[in-house]
Amino acid sequence: MQLTYLEAIRQGIWEEMDRDPTVFCLGEDIGIYGGAFKVTDGFIDRFGPERVIDTPIAESAIVGAAFGASLTGMRPVAEFQFMDFIGCAFNQISNMVAKTHYLWGAPAPLVLRGPSGGYVHGGPFHSQNPEMWFVHNPGLKVICPATPYDAKGLIKAAIRDNNPCIFFEHKYLYRRIKEEVPAEDYVVPIGKARIAREGRDLSVITYAAMVHTALQAAEILKNEGVDLEILDLRTVSPLDREAIAQTVKKTNKVILLHEHSRTGGLAGEIAAIINEEAFDDLDGPIIRIAGLDSAIPFSPPQEHHYLPKVEDVVREACRLKAY
Amino acid sequence: MGNKKTKPKASSNGNRPRNGSRPTKAPVGTAAPGRSVERSSTGSAKQQLRTYSIPDYRLEHPDFTVHQAIEKDKDGTEHVRYEVEGNLDAPVPPIRDSKYLDKRQSIEIYRYMLLNRKMEVALENLYKQGKVVGGVYFGLGQEACSCASAYALGKDDWFAPMIRNQGSLLVRGFRASDTMMQYMAKADSPTKGRDGTSHFGDIEKRNMVSPISMLGDLIPVLSGVALGARLQGRNLAVMTYIGDGGQSTGVTYEGINFAAVQNLGLVLFVESNLWAYSTPSEMQCRCQDLAERAIGYGIPGVIVDGTDACQVYDAAHEAVERAHRGEGPTLIEAKMMRMKGHAIHDAAAYVPKPMFDFWKKRDPIARFENYLAKEKKWLTPKENEALIAEVDKVIEAEREIAVNSPMPTPESAEGGVFCENGCHEIKPKYGIPRVKKGSGGYKETEAAVHLK
Repeated sequence: MQLTYLEAIRQGIWEEMDRDPTVFCLGEDIGIYGGAFKVTDGFIDRFGPERVIDTPIAESAIVGAAFGASLTGMRPVAEFQFMDFIGCAFNQISNMVAKTHYLWGAPAPLVLRGPSGGYVHGGPFHSQNPEMWFVHNPGLKVICPATPYDAKGLIKAAIRDNNPCIFFEHKYLYRRIKEEVPAEDYVVPIGKARIAREGRDLSVITYAAMVHTALQAAEILKNEGVDLEILDLRTVSPLDREAIAQTVKKTNKVILLHEHSRTGGLAGEIAAIINEEAFDDLDGPIIRIAGLDSAIPFSPPQEHHYLPKVEDVVREACRLKAY
Repeated sequence: MGNKKTKPKASSNGNRPRNGSRPTKAPVGTAAPGRSVERSSTGSAKQQLRTYSIPDYRLEHPDFTVHQAIEKDKDGTEHVRYEVEGNLDAPVPPIRDSKYLDKRQSIEIYRYMLLNRKMEVALENLYKQGKVVGGVYFGLGQEACSCASAYALGKDDWFAPMIRNQGSLLVRGFRASDTMMQYMAKADSPTKGRDGTSHFGDIEKRNMVSPISMLGDLIPVLSGVALGARLQGRNLAVMTYIGDGGQSTGVTYEGINFAAVQNLGLVLFVESNLWAYSTPSEMQCRCQDLAERAIGYGIPGVIVDGTDACQVYDAAHEAVERAHRGEGPTLIEAKMMRMKGHAIHDAAAYVPKPMFDFWKKRDPIARFENYLAKEKKWLTPKENEALIAEVDKVIEAEREIAVNSPMPTPESAEGGVFCENGCHEIKPKYGIPRVKKGSGGYKETEAAVHLK
């Protein structure tokens, strides 16, 4: 069946709630309204207000309550209306939830999910990609799918995981991409990258909406005689070190592409992994393409300037190919 | 537990008469549960006034206030100091008879309070012997609040202590050696050396959530525990604590409000111990009594003397019963004073000495001992001596266990970040949630969205 990215996530959560009575949802406006992006549209009619809970506008309480419920063996799925607001719950996530298994041995099987990302002119507080705030927090799994198939398989895997998972849904992709998704139950393993496009000449390592940017660049580059390999990380914590090393060993040239700001971004971490795992295989500099080191601006020309573009990938690929 | 009264409330929280008037009479709360509001949209100005009140079970209403003042030393150099003003010579009130506690229970609470104090004395000595890693935090003067509150919980109820509630842990079945080993960062400590103090938990048997150092975060977490249990068909009481300092945090508001709108069985002890590290409660909030905040949350609030185990127990018991009936949260303000510094390094020199003198006379253990021995005649001097000797023996044995535990190996710092390889089985603790499903099947959504 052909599903959009958004529909794939909806269906994944729906099926998990249908399958497992310990799964429940909480968040702002997720009940009768169905959520700001309608991910939980119709859920309250099916699963009832006990399992689809509209909360006060209180992100720390949402995360805290989800965590508390998880300690009793429930599997809460908490929605952030926009992932930008996850900062309001930072302490709960970083100091309470993430450290709990390491410090006192309590598992916290909960999912924190919501829309992130730019390209929709949401402005500085509705377009951020805050995944790196959590990559630097041991104890959390951070998931950023790029396709409907992965989105459905990964949300199910996150709900079934015994650890706190933060699930970033790229809002630009919500209704823009559609693909065939199997009707039968499946999961996509957390922590495993996938090759989104096989290629010989150089590798782009990326995730979420940037996978599609890289795919478009690959079509253009094909005509330039550059064969791009694209590694879709799918999970940004824990990173699939092996897949990163493999693609570098294959193409010997690598571009790291992400939407969030360059400094302290994921590319720095991946570059270090390449240094540790595949330094001898490099035939050129590791290139970073990333958002600017500023807030993400509102006005479309400014936002366009801030965010990585297809032409950036094409330009940098041509430059790297020359090494 | 609030009730309607037409007279304006005249009590203070023990240190801050405000709005220019000083309380002259001590109202004693005897209210029935349930808050009511008097209001009218028409009629006289008087009818338009809404009045709320908070039951106050104390038998005295300490009447002094702390402020900053400039003091000159002998060289004429100016220093800013805290100064206390008010009546610090009031006689010590009696213990209020409990509506619920019998002889056996009262003596058991008294024993826990002794254990609490003697464990902390042992910790102080271990610190002086250089055996403690970091500092020691004390609940001196707060033992009645810690022990009598936790004593009111049922077996399946949950709790989470704050740093000074080491007595609550003993009541809930943890051993003194658990806390001692935490302080000494030993391999056999509940966190195997990974954290110290009362920062540990147990979701299997004792139903305790581990605290973190940030204040207020436990409140929504405990509310979530109650939510999880309710989905599994159980109305549990979930007890935690917050200080007059900690209640200033935003997450405190979020957590109580969440419990209120979801009608969850949160039993929140606001321990007004007058000092948040070095800052007096006058500088934390403007309201007269922190229990008044309950009005804003739309939940019952009550004030007790935190040095009176019977008052603490009765308020906790009623709140726990309310939680078990599914009637929602209760805020209990317990008034007392932290009788040491923030931690062992802190001599609390900023506290005006007369305040220590005042509260020392209200020592929760000495008063409860006197009550049990002399008022109720439930303990003969001989029985009391035997009980104290038994507690001493327990603490000495626990100290031995703790001291003899090895330090963890360096490598034990690794691992356990994630729950993996079947280290835990996740299952609903109180039974599979009963699920009702509506008739609607899955349909694709076509509704308008915020950003496209």
